Amino acid sequence: MTNLGIAFAVLGAVFASLFAGIGSAKGVGLVGEAAAGVVSVDPSKFSKVLILQLLPGTQGLYGLLTAILLISRIGIIGGTPADLTLSQGLMFFAACLPIAFVGLFSGIAQGKSAAAGVGIVAKKPDQSGKGIIMAAMVETYAILALLVSILLIYNIEV
Amino acid sequence: MSSVKYASAVAAVRAMESSLLSQSDMEAMANAAGFRDVAGILASSGRRVPEEYDELLGSLEKELCEIWEMISGYAPDCKELEILLYRNNFHNLKAALKALIMNENPESIFVLPTTLELDRLTEIVSSKSYEELPEYMRGAAEDAYSILTKSLDGQLAEIVIDTACLEAMKSSAKKSGSRLMMKYADLTAALSDIKTAYRCSIMNKTDSFMQLAICGSSGLDRESLIRAALGGADNLLSYLDGTHFAEAAEKLRESTAAFEKWCDDELLSVFDEAKMQSFGAAPLAAYFVAKETEIKNLRILLVCKNCGAAKETIMERMRRLYV
Repeated sequence: MTNLGIAFAVLGAVFASLFAGIGSAKGVGLVGEAAAGVVSVDPSKFSKVLILQLLPGTQGLYGLLTAILLISRIGIIGGTPADLTLSQGLMFFAACLPIAFVGLFSGIAQGKSAAAGVGIVAKKPDQSGKGIIMAAMVETYAILALLVSILLIYNIEV
Repeated sequence: MSSVKYASAVAAVRAMESSLLSQSDMEAMANAAGFRDVAGILASSGRRVPEEYDELLGSLEKELCEIWEMISGYAPDCKELEILLYRNNFHNLKAALKALIMNENPESIFVLPTTLELDRLTEIVSSKSYEELPEYMRGAAEDAYSILTKSLDGQLAEIVIDTACLEAMKSSAKKSGSRLMMKYADLTAALSDIKTAYRCSIMNKTDSFMQLAICGSSGLDRESLIRAALGGADNLLSYLDGTHFAEAAEKLRESTAAFEKWCDDELLSVFDEAKMQSFGAAPLAAYFVAKETEIKNLRILLVCKNCGAAKETIMERMRRLYV
């Protein structure tokens, strides 16, 4: 059963990086499409739309950060994996779920919001800050999920 | 993610919307002393402006074709956008049929942009192989040809085609499932019906003629409209006063030019909701209609300027702008 414990912990790390990464990829891709549309008409707006495109990319980073913290905590990075019980493994797995799923959905939602913000940059470039703020609001929930995941990972006894 | 279709196209269109002419541009052009000044204002908005008046008028149609090509290129799988060109397609069918009967070349009376290949349309009409036309045009082409050859009634043939156009717009919009296009097609049908009913009432047309000419829409009861038109123009306007189209009656009392302007403004207002949308085909359709209106305004302005019309006369005829 000790093997199953570490397997669940690793699965948690995989979930964190995988789903948050998918969310970011979809979000960044969508904003990229919108940004390309604007740049095809007005290349001078590239730098402004680039900021918006970067916003949904953070969820993927949060997933990566969570995964690295977890695999470091369970000793995989050091080369000596901890001897985890099934319940410990499941707890680590559960600890990764907030950033995995909130990362997935907030990445997509932030992508939509930022793509809509690209429309503001296109039509009213002087108001582009508002588009950035509106898209950045979605980030709050990814940060909250990241905090929960990190706090759990650090407070589960190994 | 299907709800975020055409993100790139919509963003590009938003960037292009900033170069649409504004109300103040229109006023400046209406105030301009002559063609050179108008051309100068247009050039400052980023257009390539030909040096001659006739060339400029010609370039406007070309500009709309380019916009259509660009928009349909952005969304090649979007069938609902084609509904915007149904009127041009059916006009071209009329032109090809008339040219065939009169043994003339229809090229000069075709309108652009269109989704039909015009040489092919002429061939199809000449060879009467209507099955090669898009499905929504086949029946109207056959019926109109039969009327033209049997009774030589050009007006009736035109009416058959115009009604078929409105029916095709409504049916394609319904098939597309786009709420915006359904609203647009229905309003187009309602406004055309009012126009037709008004003309019929003035020309004392019969019930059977109106039954063919009036297509029907959700906003106006077809039979009541026909009955009202049979009672004369005043009766029709009184009937309209009691419907959602009371303003149409008011404008018709004013003048037909005021009514035409009001119709265009109402149709453009359907697309106002697209200003708030960041994805989907609606902003693309709205941009095309906005550009069409801008070009219509420029034509009115150029023709009025060429005739030496006063600023007030020009501004009275200017359609509402999208931006």
